[in-house]
Amino acid sequence: MSYELEREAIALKQVIKGNFAVSHGVRLSRVKVISAYPITPQTTIVEELSEMCATGKLDAQFIKVESEHSAMAAVVGSESAGVRSFTATSSQGLLLMHEMLHWAAGSRLPIVLTNVNRAIGPGWNIWADQTDSVSQRDTGWIQIYCESNQEVLDSVIMGYRLAEKVSLPVMVTYDAFFLSHTSEVVDVPEIQTVDAFLPAFAPRFRLDVNDPRMFGGMMTPEYFYEERFVMHKDSMEALDGYPAICEEFERVFGRQYEACESYRTEDADLILVTAGTITSVSRIAVDEARKAGKKVGLMKLRLFRPVPLEHWRRILGYASRVAVIDRNISVGLGGVFASEIKNALFSLEKRPSVYSVIAGLGGRDVTPRDVGGIIDHVLASEGPVESPIFWGLKE
Amino acid sequence: MDIDERNRMAGLYDFKTWRDFPPMNVSMGNMLHNRTGSWRFIKPLYEDKVPACQNGCPAGNDIEAWIKLVQRGEYEKAYWYLKREEPFPAILGRVCFRFCEGNCNRAPLDEEISIRELERFVGDRVPLSTPYPDIHPFNGKSLCVVGSGPAGMSAAYFARILGFQVTVFERLPVLGGVLRVGIPAYRLPRSIVEQEFEGLRGMGVELKPNTAVGKDISLEECLARFDYVFLAPGVHGSTKLAVPGEEGTPNVMSGLDLLRRIALGEMVRLGRQVIVVGGGNTAIDAARSAVRLGSHVTVLYRRTEAEMPAHPAEIAEAREEGIGFRFLAAPERVETSARGDIEKLVCCEMELGRPDESGRRRPVRKEGAVFDLAADTVITAIGERAAFEPMAGILEKDKGVLEVDEGLRVMAVETGKGRVFAGGDIVDAPHTVVHAVATGKRAAVTIDCHRKGVGFAEALKRISLGDGQGISFSAYMGWEPLNPVRRNLKTVVRSEHIVYDYFKKAPHIRKEVLPAPERKKSFEPYEETFTEEQALGEMERCMHCGRCTECDNCLVLCPDVSVLVKGNGEFGYVFDYNYCKGCGICFTECPRHAITMVDEETAI
Repeated sequence: MSYELEREAIALKQVIKGNFAVSHGVRLSRVKVISAYPITPQTTIVEELSEMCATGKLDAQFIKVESEHSAMAAVVGSESAGVRSFTATSSQGLLLMHEMLHWAAGSRLPIVLTNVNRAIGPGWNIWADQTDSVSQRDTGWIQIYCESNQEVLDSVIMGYRLAEKVSLPVMVTYDAFFLSHTSEVVDVPEIQTVDAFLPAFAPRFRLDVNDPRMFGGMMTPEYFYEERFVMHKDSMEALDGYPAICEEFERVFGRQYEACESYRTEDADLILVTAGTITSVSRIAVDEARKAGKKVGLMKLRLFRPVPLEHWRRILGYASRVAVIDRNISVGLGGVFASEIKNALFSLEKRPSVYSVIAGLGGRDVTPRDVGGIIDHVLASEGPVESPIFWGLKE
Repeated sequence: MDIDERNRMAGLYDFKTWRDFPPMNVSMGNMLHNRTGSWRFIKPLYEDKVPACQNGCPAGNDIEAWIKLVQRGEYEKAYWYLKREEPFPAILGRVCFRFCEGNCNRAPLDEEISIRELERFVGDRVPLSTPYPDIHPFNGKSLCVVGSGPAGMSAAYFARILGFQVTVFERLPVLGGVLRVGIPAYRLPRSIVEQEFEGLRGMGVELKPNTAVGKDISLEECLARFDYVFLAPGVHGSTKLAVPGEEGTPNVMSGLDLLRRIALGEMVRLGRQVIVVGGGNTAIDAARSAVRLGSHVTVLYRRTEAEMPAHPAEIAEAREEGIGFRFLAAPERVETSARGDIEKLVCCEMELGRPDESGRRRPVRKEGAVFDLAADTVITAIGERAAFEPMAGILEKDKGVLEVDEGLRVMAVETGKGRVFAGGDIVDAPHTVVHAVATGKRAAVTIDCHRKGVGFAEALKRISLGDGQGISFSAYMGWEPLNPVRRNLKTVVRSEHIVYDYFKKAPHIRKEVLPAPERKKSFEPYEETFTEEQALGEMERCMHCGRCTECDNCLVLCPDVSVLVKGNGEFGYVFDYNYCKGCGICFTECPRHAITMVDEETAI
């Protein structure tokens, strides 16, 4: 390898933590306004971004605020002014944003937010748990769950593309510490390459002091309903438009993404469904199971809102059993993803038995052995179980 | 854009199906007519109001404004500003019964402000004989003032400013009425009164002492010679005790007589033991004067201390000077020797029965509870009666009061009807100096309305302050208020409007007062005027109720940066209604209620 080539390879491939992957994604997307409030484990994202702003690597306004609610309010303002904007948060911070999340989506502002999935207190816990983002599923935001640092970076760039196409905000989420503070090899693309994929933001409406409009004004029962319908329709349009964006991304960057992904599912009797880092662990468990002659596959959730119903049905429809592993809990029901999967499969004439498994809450480690245990447990089960299985519960 | 135009615009966008909707929640027309959107339905405005002290002052003294001027270091301007509404600060700064202080919003926080002392301080900053600088040229009409007491002086002062040719007739050889021959010199030095008259003379008021209307000149002649007559003869007669033994002895005398004789420099001899009968201010003045003449004094009052009409501060100072009080007792008879010396005063204990028409409980004789009091002199101060010869008949009929309308026009005069006005103690008003000054001020305004042929009822309504007790002479004259902001003369700022969290507790500044044993040796005044340091310290306590002080609270707290400083040396702020959301934080957080919220559609 020549010296030149070696240097180029070093420049492209970097060993970075998930949070820095986000910072680079934001830089490469030429974001103009960043507003955020620090919260573990999100903090280093915005620390790195403020550094980039300070050193001139990123030409953006960094707005310091006193809360996440204000952070979202600030980017609602800047995005309304027609400027590509970004914020990041986690857990309690996301919850504090809740009102403004609805506002951003209802205002049809293509903001991108990264949320580092962290448990919600009390008890006070800073480790991985997806209850924070799943509890925001009805805000109108597009949600993307990531498995690796590379996927995090790519999802930020693709997020702006998707958000600006349908005028809806995108939330990119990934697990605390397993990704946020873990270094992986990440291909950080050249900004010119990203420019080719992500054109400058061309807002359909923008705040203009010389032609002031009223944004988010009063809407009577006569009109509100239709406006919500249009929002839903555009979210579904995001689903329809997603494959084309993924294709173009693959063409430019050589990495392939889909609304959801399958692994060894073709002839599977049992398909595991996962989101986030449990997916990587489960791949190992699936390989182990296959070696042992068990017909087991895996479906990885990426796009959670809008729901890729057809996609899910196509992958899961032929299996006899589906086990959904949720690193979240809707207390009084069980796993949120399991519930959504059941909803998706209900209209099928012949549908698999769906097992809901709760695992890894509050950052408890879920190992390949755990997933192997889940596989064996479900395969040995006599029939569908209505109540969720709490895997690893200290009894 | 008016409402019709907005509705027409709205009609252009008829969203029939969801396909017609814009891609964002955004108005189709622009919002140049209202840049803040349709959020606001009430809006703030800066509006100075009537502080509780001014509302409480019968003369409508604009206290807050002259305090602010002193605080800015403009002492002389403060003096003249004070004199816009209240002509004699050096006098009232000494003798006023402080209705302002009784209303001061500072009281719930710590203590009321010593407004009277501050007025005295301002009054003493400028030589009193200086005439008021802003006088209208003669308007061709003349006014005859009968009586040179505070009501007559006040009428003369304001009428002269309004351009009248004023002549004052005083029956006594000295000018000032009650100020000169009623109020003792230890409360009001003679020189102060004399200098104030110098000021009036300097303004062009003609002063004629030794001229009794009804004797030296008839009322008819006054009406013939002058366009208007203002009657302020005061009250000089005293109510008799109506008990046996009262007549025929020089040792029973009225308090008013005693005070007048002392004031005119007569040698007055009182006995060793003096009993003063009565509970009003005249009783206290007489008692304290008797102490200064060397007597031992007891005040006899038929009700309890709570019902005493005298000012509590006066009662307290009387006590300090060793004056005794015997409550719930009234004289039955005076027993005298053949020579006329009083042997004893026979009294009866009283108890309080049902309230009378004054609202106070009526004293009732306790049967058989008779007791004797040793007395060498008995001074009566149980009531005063107007004694004005030309109207004796009318006064007799109407319980010693001249009936007047709200413009102080005398109703019962046939001759010159509509040209005769009255004020001071002869009309139905409390017998205090400031009430007298207020009647003179009001009469001057109504006389001017009469001259101009305009209805005074409407004029008074326009310039009346707060609850309607006082009037604003400045508003009548069209003089600019100190704060160049919209002014509301009707809304009174009371304690419930004040945001006390913004004010630090600070008890009021007390002056050194000569101790009682020293001060009762003579008729010399025993209190100094505030020093500059004391006055400024006390003024620091003024909360400037209802008046903007540029404290910046609204500026700092507005969440929409919609309070803008006027700048370029101009006073105050402006609201940027393009961005104000009508949240009312400025209104709620204004420490002194100088901001008002009005309906959005109100024209401002």
